[in-house]
Amino acid sequence: LRDFLELAVSAAASGCIYGLVALAYLLMIRPTGIINFAVGEWAMLGAFGGFVLLTRYEWPYPLGMAAVIGFMLLVGWGTERIAVRPLVERGAPLLAPILALLGMLVVFREIVSVSFPPDPHPVPYPFGIGRLELGPVGGSYQSFFIIGVTLAVFAGAWLFFERTVAGKSFEAVAIHRRAAALMGINLSRVTALSFAGGAGAAGLAGLLVSPNISAHYLMGVPLAIQGFTALVIGGVGRVEGALLGGLLLAFAEQFIARYAPIASGYTQGVPLLFLMIFLLVRPTGLLRARA
Amino acid sequence: MSYARGLAVFAVLAALPFFLGNYYNDVYRKLLLWITLALGYNFLFGICGQVAFSHFAFYGVGAYSIVIFLFQFNLPLPLAMVLGVVLCAIVALAVAIPSTRLEGFYLALATLALAQLFIVVLNEGGAVTGGTGGLANYRLPDIFGVRIAGPGYTVVIVALLAGTYALLRRLDHSWFGRACRAVRDNPEAAAAMGVDVARTKVIAFTLTSALAGVAGMVYAFVDNTVNPPIFGLENAFLILFMVIVGGAGRHAGAVVGATLLFLMPFFLSPLIGHHHVLVFGVLVVAAILVWPKGLVGIWDAIRFRHP
Repeated sequence: LRDFLELAVSAAASGCIYGLVALAYLLMIRPTGIINFAVGEWAMLGAFGGFVLLTRYEWPYPLGMAAVIGFMLLVGWGTERIAVRPLVERGAPLLAPILALLGMLVVFREIVSVSFPPDPHPVPYPFGIGRLELGPVGGSYQSFFIIGVTLAVFAGAWLFFERTVAGKSFEAVAIHRRAAALMGINLSRVTALSFAGGAGAAGLAGLLVSPNISAHYLMGVPLAIQGFTALVIGGVGRVEGALLGGLLLAFAEQFIARYAPIASGYTQGVPLLFLMIFLLVRPTGLLRARA
Repeated sequence: MSYARGLAVFAVLAALPFFLGNYYNDVYRKLLLWITLALGYNFLFGICGQVAFSHFAFYGVGAYSIVIFLFQFNLPLPLAMVLGVVLCAIVALAVAIPSTRLEGFYLALATLALAQLFIVVLNEGGAVTGGTGGLANYRLPDIFGVRIAGPGYTVVIVALLAGTYALLRRLDHSWFGRACRAVRDNPEAAAAMGVDVARTKVIAFTLTSALAGVAGMVYAFVDNTVNPPIFGLENAFLILFMVIVGGAGRHAGAVVGATLLFLMPFFLSPLIGHHHVLVFGVLVVAAILVWPKGLVGIWDAIRFRHP
């Protein structure tokens, strides 16, 4: 049982990371319908931001974290300006901005790969390396830190969408773009904000996961796939779905790796299988959008 | 293109390798293979409007299957080729029937998962696929006692390219090609005109994937080794970008895009080193933002400019 609980804590932590990436997708898909596959690269940028500020310049953690998130909001806003808005204004088909963002994925990755040496870059733990025991449940400080921050972010996102007028305007755009525009909602501002928020969530995920896996310029695409899988499992309809999907995916992944009698290499295939099965069998995800 | 001009182009392309050294023959073969793949992908993405990342996985299925059939099951070459094509078509059909129901970019992500899964299977396949190192140390069996190698094998690739081009061009100008374009532009209208949307998508996907598999079978004897990274995601993205930069929906676009993006590193690497990939990324974004019809679109604009 100890083994089980230990695994549960670490699975919950990686589930939270997937959930944050899924939230980043969801923030952009809901109002615009755009699947931005560059979120993985945004997470990578967040991790490298952590490396530069926290490892190289040794800023205090809270300050560095705030700076990274602020930088990511700018990156998201800028990406929307460069690669999405011109296409939307021209009335290009929905696929055009998606493909432009795939190109941006290459641009982001290559900017990092030419600016830093290709080896992994360490990012410090906010509370050092250590274990926290809460009764029978135990895990590393970082696991609990990830879980705590993610829950705070999701609580904030839920409150924003359910309780504020600005959040409701996002929802209105998601339900009917034209009607929302006619009601006086500024579509381009909603789009810009959703991209900034998406980049913030993705960058935070990258920063949180980076002490465990180190910042590396190829870390983006796997995160992007796992985050999208989490999103598809949970469904794009509701914010909680992203977290639920992330947790389900991480538990399935880690418990299959630990207890199922298959070769370790094949466990990499688990999220991929999940993604295919859910896309084909239940494309709306587990949670339905609220009517 | 008339038959005479087609034959002349074929003759020039087939004669060229005999004037090239070993190194340039290798570059030339890879270029021809990229163009072949880009032509097939252009039919799927540019003409039928389906974004799939599984094209290179099928290229890999073709390459691995012929090597495994020939050297592990010791089948004769013609039988191995037929079985390879059949295998590719069956796998493609099995993927196409459920996944072409997916709208827009969801198809891309489902096929992306499939492509990644294929790499996992290759890496874990043990002795059958050779694991991460792949399969090597084999060569093309003699055909009627003749050993085809060097420039002779390059001619085989030229023939592959010509066959692929002829087939796709023929299809594009047929009822089926027009049905594909209708499905891409407006599926509802296409259905109203009596086009079976689902069947059109499945046929286009299966056909282009099988063509990629055939190209893979030819590729297996270019390097005389097959290993997993070649069939991975990087190249699946690259083929998409080639078609976009050249001009989606045009055969000439696929040729121009594949040639440009394949040869670009050879010219840029000595000048700016690894930065050439960054140039490539910027070029792709610029192509989508500024020239949505690709380089061929620019050429058309210059040629048909009204004074």
